[in-house]
Amino acid sequence: MANSKVKYFLYHILVGGFAILLLYPVIWLLVSSFKESNDIFVTAGSLIPNPFTLVNYPQGWEGFGGYGFGTFIKNTIVFVFWMLVGHLISCSLIAFGFARLKFVGRGFWFAIMLVTLMLPYEVVMIPQYIIFSELGWLNSLKPLVVPAFFGHPFFIFLLVQFIRTIPRELDEAATIDGANTFQIFYKVILPLIVPALATTAIFTFYWTWDNLLGPVLYLNSPDKYTVSMALNMFLSNETVSNWGAMFAMSMVTLVPVFVIFFIFQRYVVEGISTTGLK
Amino acid sequence: MRRKSVVVVWGLILVLLLAACSGGGSSSSGGSGSEDGKVTLRMAWWGDQPRNDYTAKVIEMYEEQNPDVKIEAEYASWDDYWQKLSPQAAANELPDIVQMDVSYLAQYAQGNKLADLTPYLGEQIDTSKMTEDYVNGGKINDGIYGMNTGVNAVGFHYNPDLLEEIGFDREIPEGWTWEDYQSMSDKAAAKGIYFDTHLKPDVFFDYYLRSNGARLYAEDGSGLGYKDDQLFVDYFGMIAEQVEKGSTPTPDVLTQISGIEDDPVVKGEGVGIFQWSNQFVGLKQVAEKPLEIAPMPGPGTSDGLYLKPGMFFSVSQNSKHKEAAADFLNFFMNDIEANKLILGDRGVPGSSEVKDALKSEVSEAQAQVFEYVEWAEQNSSPMGAPDPAGAGEVIELLDTMSEQISYGQITPEEAAKSFRSQAEGMLGQ
Amino acid sequence: MLNSRLQRNLWGYVFIGPFVIGFLCFTIIPMMASLYFSFTSYGLFDSPKWIGLGNYTKMFTEDPRYLQSLKVTIIYVLGGVPLRLAFALLVAMLLNAGSRAVGLYRTMYYLPSLIGGSVAVAIMWRNIFGDAGIVNLALGGLGLDAIRWFGEPTAALWMLIFLSIWQFGSSMLIFLAGLKSIPSSFYEAASVDGANFFQKFFKITLPMLSPVLLFNIIMQTIAAFMTFVPAFIISKGTGGPLDGTLLYSLYLFKQGFEYFNMGYASAMAWVMLLIVAALTGIIFWTSKYWVHYESEVK
Repeated sequence: MANSKVKYFLYHILVGGFAILLLYPVIWLLVSSFKESNDIFVTAGSLIPNPFTLVNYPQGWEGFGGYGFGTFIKNTIVFVFWMLVGHLISCSLIAFGFARLKFVGRGFWFAIMLVTLMLPYEVVMIPQYIIFSELGWLNSLKPLVVPAFFGHPFFIFLLVQFIRTIPRELDEAATIDGANTFQIFYKVILPLIVPALATTAIFTFYWTWDNLLGPVLYLNSPDKYTVSMALNMFLSNETVSNWGAMFAMSMVTLVPVFVIFFIFQRYVVEGISTTGLK
Repeated sequence: MRRKSVVVVWGLILVLLLAACSGGGSSSSGGSGSEDGKVTLRMAWWGDQPRNDYTAKVIEMYEEQNPDVKIEAEYASWDDYWQKLSPQAAANELPDIVQMDVSYLAQYAQGNKLADLTPYLGEQIDTSKMTEDYVNGGKINDGIYGMNTGVNAVGFHYNPDLLEEIGFDREIPEGWTWEDYQSMSDKAAAKGIYFDTHLKPDVFFDYYLRSNGARLYAEDGSGLGYKDDQLFVDYFGMIAEQVEKGSTPTPDVLTQISGIEDDPVVKGEGVGIFQWSNQFVGLKQVAEKPLEIAPMPGPGTSDGLYLKPGMFFSVSQNSKHKEAAADFLNFFMNDIEANKLILGDRGVPGSSEVKDALKSEVSEAQAQVFEYVEWAEQNSSPMGAPDPAGAGEVIELLDTMSEQISYGQITPEEAAKSFRSQAEGMLGQ
Repeated sequence: MLNSRLQRNLWGYVFIGPFVIGFLCFTIIPMMASLYFSFTSYGLFDSPKWIGLGNYTKMFTEDPRYLQSLKVTIIYVLGGVPLRLAFALLVAMLLNAGSRAVGLYRTMYYLPSLIGGSVAVAIMWRNIFGDAGIVNLALGGLGLDAIRWFGEPTAALWMLIFLSIWQFGSSMLIFLAGLKSIPSSFYEAASVDGANFFQKFFKITLPMLSPVLLFNIIMQTIAAFMTFVPAFIISKGTGGPLDGTLLYSLYLFKQGFEYFNMGYASAMAWVMLLIVAALTGIIFWTSKYWVHYESEVK
């Protein structure tokens, strides 16, 4: 008993201590957001803001050109929502097809899918932009969101790998019970890949939240801008950057991502195995 | 459990509906569609928070006076701006009015993405209060592809207190030379103070060449504009010496400077900075020190100095309302009330009338800038052609060369040769 | 018989249909366009001029910066990916224990990855590795010489590699999900048989985790080759010092959008595709010897 208590403390000292070490940069950011903009670099080595100020928060929240930071957060949430819907539906369908069904050209399409990940986006960007411009989709979320409904190779491959770890006997049992292919997908496989789906959701959430290039290319009106674009606008290449406000808003925008992660990470780890334990 | 999922489902539907409503009406991106006779112009610029705010106000002012015109603003930070602009240009979807930088103007103009403004000069755009040099700042080949929004001139922005501390008068002597610069640097280095932070190679090597009767780029942009590699060797040899003796920071120290707030001058560890006049206001604001402006070291200062367009407003070739766009540019250049909002943020204005009206409005720092640029107007030579296409690559090559010289990886003589052969290749394309 | 084969194919395409349609609508044309550009001299705003293999030969014969960027990228991939994955797996296993505080720890360990690649991160990283930053302070405390992270090309590259290791959260999360999918009955049975930690790790954890491991290796390798943002923001877009952090994507971006050599950039992109595809192919080929699937499609 005493031994396990020692072990327990050791574990927490090790894991917790290491977490704090890893978090030092994050703490640095947080502390900097409470310093005056001009002080941030002068007192970069100190973790105690002196003088302590809250002014960066309201100043950053105010935004620019008449659009407050709230607008940018709202836009980003709408963007994230569509990406989530798109990825969860399309990627699980496609992954089931690749992992469980046998059809002509499966290997070919799977290879193609991986290849699309290997070509740097910079060189397909312009032709793709022209396509979306021909469709009249510029200055809207469509060029960013619509492709999500056609799957994303990263998540498809991820889900494929998870589906392949599920014993095939389960499908066969369901087939004997008279289930068709779609029912196998829906009733057997889907509940078993909840951890992978939760992972997909988390990644989609924060990659979208963080996505800078997409919104920069396709959103023109400031009232449609996302958080990542707005953060860059505190910077100036010619004169004075508003570092304080940028750090402050970086911290603010971290909150939703943090909360979402904290909620969803439970589904990642409370998959089949733990329910099986009970 | 069941009730919870019903709530979730309904929540989702609600959000979906909301999103569909907010997304539905806003997809028309043409920008120049004119319903009920109203002209809509898209206008894009890069900039910081204050610029975004005052430009929005200028637009508002213009719309009030011209109720049949609506201007949609599209602004972003510098990096994001150029990222956005190149696909727009490729797809012929550029905004009607685009803010341009000297380094990109030739590229966009020669790619036939910008309209020649010559037909609008003297018509929509009143240039009667501006000098010819000023208007010609946006000249590429035979056309004017950008309206100069204001000019800047390079100079030395310094802190008199520190100058005194290293044992000199509080003022940089008139007509100082590179030799003075070097001997002052020795004194600074001896006190453990930087004399200056860094001479950006493309800007100041060009200045040095000009003061010796040459240029960095040939006038037609087809190659380098200087013949004698000794000029390269002399200039970069001097720079390397500065770094070596510690009066200019090493390149790796420079990389660690995140912004002006972080600059040795602001921290009280450096005497001054060589930079463009428009950067003085921000420096003084952050430094909270009694900063002064001095001209560049000579000899040949007036040949070396020129008034550089701070930035341009161009009208895109794909714009359907070029006249309307030109009319707004005129407002931006010439309207006094509008310029009282702009306050020279995009460079010292070209219109003499606007300049006079602003003198009483601007801050102390801004007044110093106005004064310096006015002095430079009398003591400078015309700029000549803007950076040619391919300049971006050449500038980076020059940065790399200068860095390698500072690290002692290459001698100035070798660098001069290597720079010439590579740069000629880049420009000759 | 024929009918059921047709039906099976049909079901297959119904499920992967979205991908096929999306690929045909949005991806194939731009990809083919860039392949065409790679054989041309194309400056983004002018019309492409056919120059055959010119761009490709220039890359390997006339452009030392290209070879430098290739070298730097290979070091970045070989140095960063294994370390990052090992680290992620180790932490995932530590956090796989079922304690109550672990949810909080997981979030804490994931936090660095959530911050992403914003300018704020670059500023912070620059400060930590700066001459007076905490890393050099720590080195001094250990009696070691300070390292000029911004002056030495190799050190600067390692600074980038450390950043990628620090943001190990996404790999960790995937490992965690994989670890959780291993039925605990396997471990219980092994414990009954008296297996120790290492036996369990090599006999159960590793084989059961191998599909996820394969996924992580392939995806992290591809992603590492494509790395752009950290190099761009930390070196302020220069790839310095002395091109020490000029990652492949950064150089490609410069060629395409700063020097307006889109044809050359496209050629670079296709060479990168060939390299990464070959590497991925090799990994896949070896995978049949070490990846264990519960269900093989028969």
